[in-house]
Amino acid sequence: MTKILTKHFDEPKLHELETYKRLDGYKGLEKALTLAPAEVTAEVLKSNLRGLGGAGFPTGAKWGTVPPVDKVPGPRYVVVNADESEPGCFKDRVLLTRAPHQLIEGLLIAAHAIGAKEAFIFVRGEYQNQYDIIEKAVKEAEAAGYTKHAKLMLMRGAGAYISGLDTALLETMEGKKAWPRQPPPFPTVAGLMAKPTVVNNVETLSMLPFILREGGEAFAKIGSAKNGGTVVFSVSGHVEKPGIYEVPMGSKLRDVLTLAGGVRKGHTLKCVIPGGTSMPPLMEKDLDLALDFDQIRAAGTFLGAGGMIVLDETADAVAVAHNIERFLTHESCGQCTPCREGSYWNEEILERMLHGKGTPEDVPNMTRIGENITGKVICALGDTVGMVTRAYIQRFPEDFKKRISDGQKS
Amino acid sequence: MSVTTATKSPFTAEQEAVLLRWKNEYPYPNMGLVEALRSVQDWNRRMTPECVARVAEIFELPFNRVWGVATFFPTFTQWKTGRKRVGLCHGLSCWLAGSDKMEKRLEETLGVPEKTCTADGEYSWESMECLGACEQGPALLVNDRLVGAATEETVAKLKESK
Repeated sequence: MTKILTKHFDEPKLHELETYKRLDGYKGLEKALTLAPAEVTAEVLKSNLRGLGGAGFPTGAKWGTVPPVDKVPGPRYVVVNADESEPGCFKDRVLLTRAPHQLIEGLLIAAHAIGAKEAFIFVRGEYQNQYDIIEKAVKEAEAAGYTKHAKLMLMRGAGAYISGLDTALLETMEGKKAWPRQPPPFPTVAGLMAKPTVVNNVETLSMLPFILREGGEAFAKIGSAKNGGTVVFSVSGHVEKPGIYEVPMGSKLRDVLTLAGGVRKGHTLKCVIPGGTSMPPLMEKDLDLALDFDQIRAAGTFLGAGGMIVLDETADAVAVAHNIERFLTHESCGQCTPCREGSYWNEEILERMLHGKGTPEDVPNMTRIGENITGKVICALGDTVGMVTRAYIQRFPEDFKKRISDGQKS
Repeated sequence: MSVTTATKSPFTAEQEAVLLRWKNEYPYPNMGLVEALRSVQDWNRRMTPECVARVAEIFELPFNRVWGVATFFPTFTQWKTGRKRVGLCHGLSCWLAGSDKMEKRLEETLGVPEKTCTADGEYSWESMECLGACEQGPALLVNDRLVGAATEETVAKLKESK
């Protein structure tokens, strides 16, 4: 199967510059620097690369919205979002650990494309091991002369999931509470310190060396329609071989599950969360679904950041929804009332159901709460708060019914 | 919160230099604030109004502006953490892998409830949201470094490793 990012992962010293260079490392950057910035963006547009941090926005199109220097003079920035914290996602951690130079090369390509003289790598605080690796790799890249066109700086987060949302990440970087901004303006117009800023995920940027080296068309050819290249799934939960698996965009859910060794022995599949716990689950009937941003969306859920959690028949939908709502309650930034209060209400109701005190009003109440959150808040976390429990209620009504104590109020 | 004035810095000269370095690290001074507060949490193992007031002075920001940040992020605490701050992930994958059992093991092994420091100041533990190590759940974190899965053995070893 075609691999791009994890192709050389059997090389034990891939994280070192010498090994990375031997395997065509920094050739993409060298090529990019011979091109005009607009030509680099054009190549990325051709590649159909989509934002792999979760939103799936076409990367070349995002870069294209950065105003040109002659119209808006002054600094512009590229920020690497390495604040991976969506439950189920760990591919960025592996990419940072195993292939830091691939990311740095991609970042330097992006900096050239939008004319950024300064670029930032924002790493979640709990990835101190990975921070050390990337810090060392940045020093190697500097010493080798690759960073002449853009200075690289590192920064750490402080434990907030919401910092991983682009505008909240920028607020964190500005030394503020991680409260998402209400766009417009989008970060590419007014981002870090109100300067044009491109925020891209680790995996997205790591794709750029290949795109520049082999050409955008070669990358587009690997994937499916409008979804170029590959995607790295983080697979965990009730599977035999949890880990990361890189597959071409548009691969079947069934095939990704097979790579991960299938559902653990002696058990049967209940559902698969495709992109991290914020995404509604896919069912057994979806096993032949082609996994890319558009086809997953048509099936009523999202590719997200590829954090695939497999659940077998032992998982109870009420307990799973409770775990997710508890997470969301903890991570809601508190800015929008529907999300702040709604996540807590849902968590409390689900907790009551878990303790055998569910009432017949609980499901209609949670449905109504959900309907009053999604679409009425600033950011995607809030949308999720309203969506997740409803998704489990809709797919597993029996699990919820079992928790209602004979219609008696307790 | 009453008015807090830092007549005397709660930090050593070396620590003051580190805070100043964070202020000058990035293109704009405020961009170093979260990193500066991370240093304060490391040194003091919790946020106090005195520490935050001094950071605010150094960054030339109002106290409330900095206190807001110092109480927003989960890394920053008002309870004293242990010198070894242990985190146990209870995200969905780690919960499926048995994080609730490991919470009990941590409590028994370290002898303190969650978010409470041992008497010698050495250890504290807390449940944390997804730590990005779902394939090796329940993920264990010590001072911001992932150390693999929490098992009976690895939890028992925590106290041995000095």
